[in-house]
Amino acid sequence: MKSFEYLRPHNLAEALEIMERYGAGARPLLGGTDLTVRIQKGQADPAAVVDLKGVGEIGESIDARGDTVTVGGRVVLSDLVRSDLMQTHYPALVEAASIVGSIQIRNRATLVGNICNASPAADTVPPLIAYAAEVTVAGLDEKGAPIRSRVPLEDFFLGPGETRCAPTELVLGVQLPLPSRPFGCAFGRLTRRRGVDLATINMACSIDAAGITTFAFGAVGPTVVAARDESGELAQPDLPESRREELLRSLVEKTSPISDVRSGEQYRRAMLLTIARRVLRQAFERRQYQSGGQTQGSKHYRGGFGE
Amino acid sequence: MSMQRIRISITVNAERHQLEVDPYETLLELLRDRLDLTGTKKCCGEGECGACTVIMNGRAVNSCIILAAEADGSEVLTIEGLSEGGRPNQLQQAFLDAGAVQCGFCTPGMIMAAHYLLRNNPHPTDEEIREGLSGNLCRCTGYGRIVAAVQAAAAAEATAASKAGLESTPEAPK
Amino acid sequence: MSRGVVGSSVNRVGGVPRVLGTQVYVADVKLPNMLHAKLVHLDCAHARIRSIDCGEALEVEGVRAVLTAEDLPKPIPRFGPAYRDRPLLAVETTNFHGEPVAIVAAESEHAAQVAASRVKVDYDELPAICTVAQALDPSTGLVQDPSIRSDGPFRHTNILDEWKFGWGDVGGCRAHAVVENTYTFPIVTQFAIEPFAFLAEPTAEGITVYSAVQIPYGLQRSLAAVLDLPLSRVRIIAPDPGGAFGGKQHPKLEPILAYFALRLGRPLRLELTLEESFQEVRRAAAEVRVRSGFDSDGTLVFQDIESNYLIGAYADIAARVVSKASYVAAGPYRVPNVRILARALLSHTPPSTAFRGFGAPQENWAVESQLDEAAGRLGLDRVEIRRKNLPKRGEVFMPQDPPADGDWAECLDRAAQAVGWGDPLPEGRGRGIAMGLKAGPTTAASYTIIRLHLDGSATIYCGTSDMGQGARTVFSQIAAQELGVPLENVVMVMGDTAVVPFDLQTSASRSTVVMGNAVQAACRDIRRQLADLAAECYEVDEEIRVDPGVVHLPAGDRTFVEVLQDRFGRVKGEVIGVGSARSEYVPDHPLGGPPAFYEVVAIAAEVEVDRETGVTEVLKLIVAGDVGRAINPQAVAMQDEGAAVQGLGHSLMEQYILDSAGRIRNLGALDYRIPTTQDAPRELRSIHVENADGPGPYGAKGVAEGGILSTAPAIGSAVAQAVGVRIRDLPLTPERIWTELNRKTTP
Repeated sequence: MKSFEYLRPHNLAEALEIMERYGAGARPLLGGTDLTVRIQKGQADPAAVVDLKGVGEIGESIDARGDTVTVGGRVVLSDLVRSDLMQTHYPALVEAASIVGSIQIRNRATLVGNICNASPAADTVPPLIAYAAEVTVAGLDEKGAPIRSRVPLEDFFLGPGETRCAPTELVLGVQLPLPSRPFGCAFGRLTRRRGVDLATINMACSIDAAGITTFAFGAVGPTVVAARDESGELAQPDLPESRREELLRSLVEKTSPISDVRSGEQYRRAMLLTIARRVLRQAFERRQYQSGGQTQGSKHYRGGFGE
Repeated sequence: MSMQRIRISITVNAERHQLEVDPYETLLELLRDRLDLTGTKKCCGEGECGACTVIMNGRAVNSCIILAAEADGSEVLTIEGLSEGGRPNQLQQAFLDAGAVQCGFCTPGMIMAAHYLLRNNPHPTDEEIREGLSGNLCRCTGYGRIVAAVQAAAAAEATAASKAGLESTPEAPK
Repeated sequence: MSRGVVGSSVNRVGGVPRVLGTQVYVADVKLPNMLHAKLVHLDCAHARIRSIDCGEALEVEGVRAVLTAEDLPKPIPRFGPAYRDRPLLAVETTNFHGEPVAIVAAESEHAAQVAASRVKVDYDELPAICTVAQALDPSTGLVQDPSIRSDGPFRHTNILDEWKFGWGDVGGCRAHAVVENTYTFPIVTQFAIEPFAFLAEPTAEGITVYSAVQIPYGLQRSLAAVLDLPLSRVRIIAPDPGGAFGGKQHPKLEPILAYFALRLGRPLRLELTLEESFQEVRRAAAEVRVRSGFDSDGTLVFQDIESNYLIGAYADIAARVVSKASYVAAGPYRVPNVRILARALLSHTPPSTAFRGFGAPQENWAVESQLDEAAGRLGLDRVEIRRKNLPKRGEVFMPQDPPADGDWAECLDRAAQAVGWGDPLPEGRGRGIAMGLKAGPTTAASYTIIRLHLDGSATIYCGTSDMGQGARTVFSQIAAQELGVPLENVVMVMGDTAVVPFDLQTSASRSTVVMGNAVQAACRDIRRQLADLAAECYEVDEEIRVDPGVVHLPAGDRTFVEVLQDRFGRVKGEVIGVGSARSEYVPDHPLGGPPAFYEVVAIAAEVEVDRETGVTEVLKLIVAGDVGRAINPQAVAMQDEGAAVQGLGHSLMEQYILDSAGRIRNLGALDYRIPTTQDAPRELRSIHVENADGPGPYGAKGVAEGGILSTAPAIGSAVAQAVGVRIRDLPLTPERIWTELNRKTTP
């Protein structure tokens, strides 16, 4: 692959200074499962690669404090999948994370990396949005002083490969609110084969305590598309099927699927509804289950094919 | 072309090395070209096929997408590090006995992934084996005998452990 | 200490290095003073090259040279196993996505890569011919200039050649039911896990080329011609391939690499990426139109088959693929009237080459699917319609060729039984069954030398390529049995033309039969010699019988070791046995000779389809092969299982996706999907029909391709039963199944 400067800052200040110095020419490196591949293929040609794995301020654990769970930037997906905390409170995210690549990929790839790579087909993004996640972005102000800001993930993506994180900024971690009960969330996707694959389409659906249904659709637009039913109707158990279909259709219409090497547009459109029905039902059932005062966690669920 | 050289210290198969690597050099290239450990293979070069699987700091990873520089301070186990005195260990022998080896090119990566699987899950179901090896492509075998090999190795390990009067415990990943 | 007995499932010979990681593949070979090469190719299929500027590339530190067609002799040397049409480097035009226009040599792979990216090629992209329709259309232009085509009616077309076979009178016969359909098979690639790698080393004698080639002697001939060297000065060292499936049979980049290495005077190594490997080899795509006639009871009356194979920009071995496969396209059936027309059509795509099945999967997909449709129309069970039409062993089913050489109905019945044919099926599931036929080798020339050493151990020299199928093991078993030597004392030496005798090729599932016969002959030669030595040594007049490991003398039995010691004494020596097996070219046979055996299977599948998404799971895949005799039953099963899952790949998920300009859009492991552990059927079985009726040792036949011959129609048939819709185009992706299901219900 083409050459670059390899840098390994010891702390956040050093890291931000490097990013500032190189402008857009420095790319941050955590797991490397996206960046290193792109450099090897000639799709990225950075002047510098900044290995952040030595930066302490980028957390390497999952912590619960008050009503927020924080997933540090250095947490790899396989650890996220194994975490009891995540399985209990964010089963749909665990399901999604557990099918990103293979175990070898998940042992390196970070949640933050999956987000910042900003592929419209990223599997973790729909459930993160359904769980109302935010990211913490660190940068330097005009005076060169470090600042941090929180950005809701729903607003974070600008286009394929593009986020609100500027080229000189870094994402430190992900914050997830502990959902008020009852809450149910499910993840579903379609792929071309049963084995490891990128999603043809993916999505997550959550129904919160107020009965608001949030969908997040992936691989059907330049960014993940969030769409909400604020009426509370979709959360009703006795909603007539025709009305449910109508509502789902109106949500799905916000997407813009295309034909590409993985799938044709027509199929994607049809599958949006098919999978949406399935994840809605599962989110509903999980919420019902919670109403009974228990949680229905997820132990290493494969989460494919909208089951 | 970059003149940057990065000094790293890396332990491979329990042997410590001090090396100077190029920034663009991968861990796979370090193993194959600098250390002459050619057992780990290159196939897809993008982390999709598992032929380059090694254990790094206790985790199975694709070495083709890890920069050599990133491996500074790490412990790496390759296929060459599994054998006992140049002879197949229990897992390697299980692959042979089950007929799970044909051309053999995917075999080192497959065995490393299986080794990692069994360390974390000593009594896997067939489905768990398939899931754990889903990142390793094989074009020759159809996978059935590979699953059988891992099952046989798990059973042999369990027998050996109970004979020794010990419970085998999974290593926590570092 | 086990003896390698024929018929026992001994562990793979050569398995230990593979599990230890010490097996040496081509890419593991390092030579001192080695240079690294990298290819330059364009991101389009067909282009006119205006100019190539290597100035910047040559300035990269570590670069030694860059070659283009300009630097090569004129006219540019061309090579190819049947037609010598492929230039060493693209000259004037590129004709497939990936055709190299230049090659860089540098001190490091990194320098070569950087330099290759700085070679500036000025070119005009041209329209590409990449479908059957385009290739047949007289207005679209020619893929190959007539100046490199042979004389004949097709010189000014994209038809490389056309074949007509058949018997009876298709036009004049009457049938109760006629079924007509067109079936398509996509471009797929071998995707051996080992990408291509080559190493060329100038030597004092001439040149040594390392290549994981299945046909070392073929490569030797090719290079000798291109480099203008005598055969004796061209040495091919062929390490065991890391998977080949036919894709590593014929020369590709060895010619340019060898030429370049000689010019540089240093060893030169080229390792292709996986993407580049996909651009070098693939299977011919096909459109097969079949018109079949049946009596009301399902008896076949006629088969009228027109096959258009889309081959690549250069012929490679495609002509042979098309002729051989179409010759037996009517399948393993009794068909009184057959008309076959087949064409090989040039296109701006990578050269199609040998790939397990050698054109037969494409024919079987069409003809077997057609049988199912006929069964449906006539109200017949799909197993019944086949059983009715299968010939018995010994029955002539192709008038000019050997009769059926196996009990093929037994394959059918055992496959049907194993899959539970007739058992109740849950909703959403289906079963399918299909026969598969391929013609075995028609010409052959395999030689082997076996040395029996003083201590009774043996070394076998043979030119077969062991690419995972287990040739080493099978020959070791045969020798161990024939010589009475413990299996672990038999050593195989393969893969070096300076050391092993001539072998025509490793292909067509021939090696167990042909080289196996040669090995057996060499062992018998050794036993004959031992009889002579014993007669001489012990002064015995009457004939001496020699069995494996023991010489029978009037005074009592002696072991081989004892006889060798007694005869050779302190001066020592060894016994050298030579064996060969040949099958000569028959000029007036359409294939150059009748096949040595027929490779026949019955494949059964059970699937489950999710109608809402089209997602299909193959639950069971059964291969019942007419194997003659399984020298190593486990090895046969290993091949069947692997072939079946490879067939599952082209049935459900594999295809090259080309854009309108002929660029392959899904190169590499990410977007070219092959089966993983999760895609393979949980029940995968190999059944051996063994009637010792093959021409190989102990009645063996070839088996390695069987499992891929009719996986597609078996799975396709199962899907059709599950969803009630028959699809005639592969692969049966979820999207395709869903589209067909929904096409039916929308007006």
